[in-house]
Amino acid sequence: MKTLRINHLIAFAFLMFLSVTAGVSPASAQTPDPGTTGPNAVTREEYNYGDSVFQPSGFPIAVEVRASIHYPTTLGNGPYPVIVFMHGRHATCYRNTTAALRWPCRSTEQPIPSFQGYDYIAQTLASNGYVVVSVSANGINAYDNNVNDLGMQARAELIQHHLGRLNTFNTTGATPFGTKFVGKLNLAKVGTMGHSRGGEGVVKHYVHNASLGSPYTIKAVLPLAPVDFNRPVVNNAALEVILPYCDGDVSDNQGVHFYDDARYNVAGDTGAKHTVQVMGANHNFYNTIWTPGMFPAGTADDWGYVTNGSTDGHCGTGTTSKRLTSAQQRGTGLAYLSAFMRAYVGGETQFLPILTGDAPPPASAQTTNLHVSYHAPSTATKRLDVNRLLTATNLTTNTLGGATTQSGLTPHDLCGGDSPQPQHCLPSTQSTSRQPHTVASARSTLRGLSQLRTGWGAFGSTYTNDLPLGARDVSGFQAVQFRVSVNFSDTRNASNIPQNFSIVLTDGAGATSNVRVGDVSGALFYPPGTVGPVPKVLLNTVRVPLTSFTGINLTDIRSVKFNFDQTGQGALLISDLAFASAP
Amino acid sequence: MRLVNNARRRRGWKSILLTTSFLFLFSACSSLAFAQDAPASTPDSDPTANQEVTVTDILKLKGRVLGEGSNARAVGQHKVASYRVEEVTLPRMQDVKIKGETRSVGKAFRLTIKGGPFPVRAMPAVIWLDETAIGYGIENEDLNEITVITYDESTLTEGATIYLSYGDKQNKEDRTALPEKLKLNGAKGGNQ
Repeated sequence: MKTLRINHLIAFAFLMFLSVTAGVSPASAQTPDPGTTGPNAVTREEYNYGDSVFQPSGFPIAVEVRASIHYPTTLGNGPYPVIVFMHGRHATCYRNTTAALRWPCRSTEQPIPSFQGYDYIAQTLASNGYVVVSVSANGINAYDNNVNDLGMQARAELIQHHLGRLNTFNTTGATPFGTKFVGKLNLAKVGTMGHSRGGEGVVKHYVHNASLGSPYTIKAVLPLAPVDFNRPVVNNAALEVILPYCDGDVSDNQGVHFYDDARYNVAGDTGAKHTVQVMGANHNFYNTIWTPGMFPAGTADDWGYVTNGSTDGHCGTGTTSKRLTSAQQRGTGLAYLSAFMRAYVGGETQFLPILTGDAPPPASAQTTNLHVSYHAPSTATKRLDVNRLLTATNLTTNTLGGATTQSGLTPHDLCGGDSPQPQHCLPSTQSTSRQPHTVASARSTLRGLSQLRTGWGAFGSTYTNDLPLGARDVSGFQAVQFRVSVNFSDTRNASNIPQNFSIVLTDGAGATSNVRVGDVSGALFYPPGTVGPVPKVLLNTVRVPLTSFTGINLTDIRSVKFNFDQTGQGALLISDLAFASAP
Repeated sequence: MRLVNNARRRRGWKSILLTTSFLFLFSACSSLAFAQDAPASTPDSDPTANQEVTVTDILKLKGRVLGEGSNARAVGQHKVASYRVEEVTLPRMQDVKIKGETRSVGKAFRLTIKGGPFPVRAMPAVIWLDETAIGYGIENEDLNEITVITYDESTLTEGATIYLSYGDKQNKEDRTALPEKLKLNGAKGGNQ
């Protein structure tokens, strides 16, 4: 009997341990790592039809049609989803250690194979059942500054041309592969990733493909450290923008415009949107061909482009800096690109919690120092916008039509959006490169993200959004969420110390439940760095599970209150208050 | 504008409507015809009507040197050394926008910064004269020159400081100044 009782106790303790563990992070306990090698052996080949064989419209020269293709060696379980990569702007030719920008290269030179720089991701994706094509765009790089849109239409057309080639491989077959790929490519399941200028290129391609009647079904678009010169927009496809905090090239992280611009652009938008802010990451290390020590010419740690950049405490080169090694940085690319493509192109939805932030970074990311944003699809079951914070009206009446009130907050205004809002949210003494959401675009006059600029100087200041009749049942959603950044330019935030406050939900009976943001999210970090483009204000999503709010009736929530009760003073930039669920 | 005013005087309200319609159609056609390979726009000279003489053309045309520096040692974060200013005679007149006004011009001006090797970056180079961003630069093949094209000779100010930066044309923070000021040797050209 005694043994039995002890066994019961052990079993009970074990069950309690399991339930507590699951309660802490149920998603992480169930979320596999998308960056691990899959079961398929992989073959890598290239096709190359010549250096000057495709003429983009209005472009000064004809460009190359060359790409690598990674695929499951047996091609046994096709058709496989197709992922297309496009590299960014870089030198195009080299001889010994000297790089040049011309196309075609001289006979004494070799092309710089920038398209090979993502093989480490292609290999893993292919091992998990994807065909990955990485396109060379050297010809465009050599002349894109000569054209008004800085080469984006040309990039879009080049991707479309390659998809046409893949379609031929898939239907009739063609050299150099014969009929190997006939019936093996699923061009109704396509994902695109573009790095740097290639990032805007894949967005422009999405628009271009749509303008042609969507002959290929682009399920997911991933701009990696992208520029956004012309402000094209992706709607009704999944979007993930990866933003390196220590980007020394696109140092203003302007690619966040892709996320911001897409949010409320189309009613009923079915596409989920994500950003990943990778702390300690630069621009170039995502591409091995651009990484010092991995290729003989044209490489750089781009953070070195920043004046006095080496002295920065976060992005610099000192022993206490928080820079990622190139291998770590590739880990973040591998993990988040794989999670995104596998979830949205391959339908492997088990990876979604990584993208929404409900699960921590997987081991393959090689760092936990990153932050995500998530904007749910615009459907009634996925997202209920409480306050989009787009116009001055939203300071008193929220998107649902409920009252919005505040006490003790100053300033409490909107900034960054369309006129008459001020163009930027930080004082004019702050560089625009520290304000990604509002930095100007080279070829567009569009303004940036409308944000609530607010701050408090005493415990207990509040910001409250009431939910009107008809919008009070939030029980079908997983979380209440918003985007936020600590406003480093406001001295009420103590340097290098995270902020904190409470979210309070109140129900129809007057019962309340509160959750401290700092207990569920790392988004209230103080942006690190002191040199050049850092620190910077980039808003990340705080996503508080509704299961964290206890003792209240989630079918009758009357208000969402931000109670600034954890610190005596502070200042934040806020957007996108909503109830939301995973895609 | 003078043509429009004359029409108003001669033909009255009916002509105003006709003229307005024409201008509207003309401007719509101009933006539709906006060439891909077109001169890079700048705050003060936006050559949106140039479909025929492209940036690529202008970069290749022979120029007349109006001024040139001599410093050979690259300095600063962006490794700038010297400069060259050239006047380029266009093969045909071009309609361009200068300070918001459409003008027909027969000359372009190339301002080239020498130094490097310049990195090939995602963010375009910006060339400045004093506090004016002349426009986005274009690297040459050997990456030791970056050139900006302008049609507005009034920006070529004797004694101006020449800067190079990258990215946002509103951001003056990370500019590198050339060691030499702009000298035109009294030979300024002519979009008169």
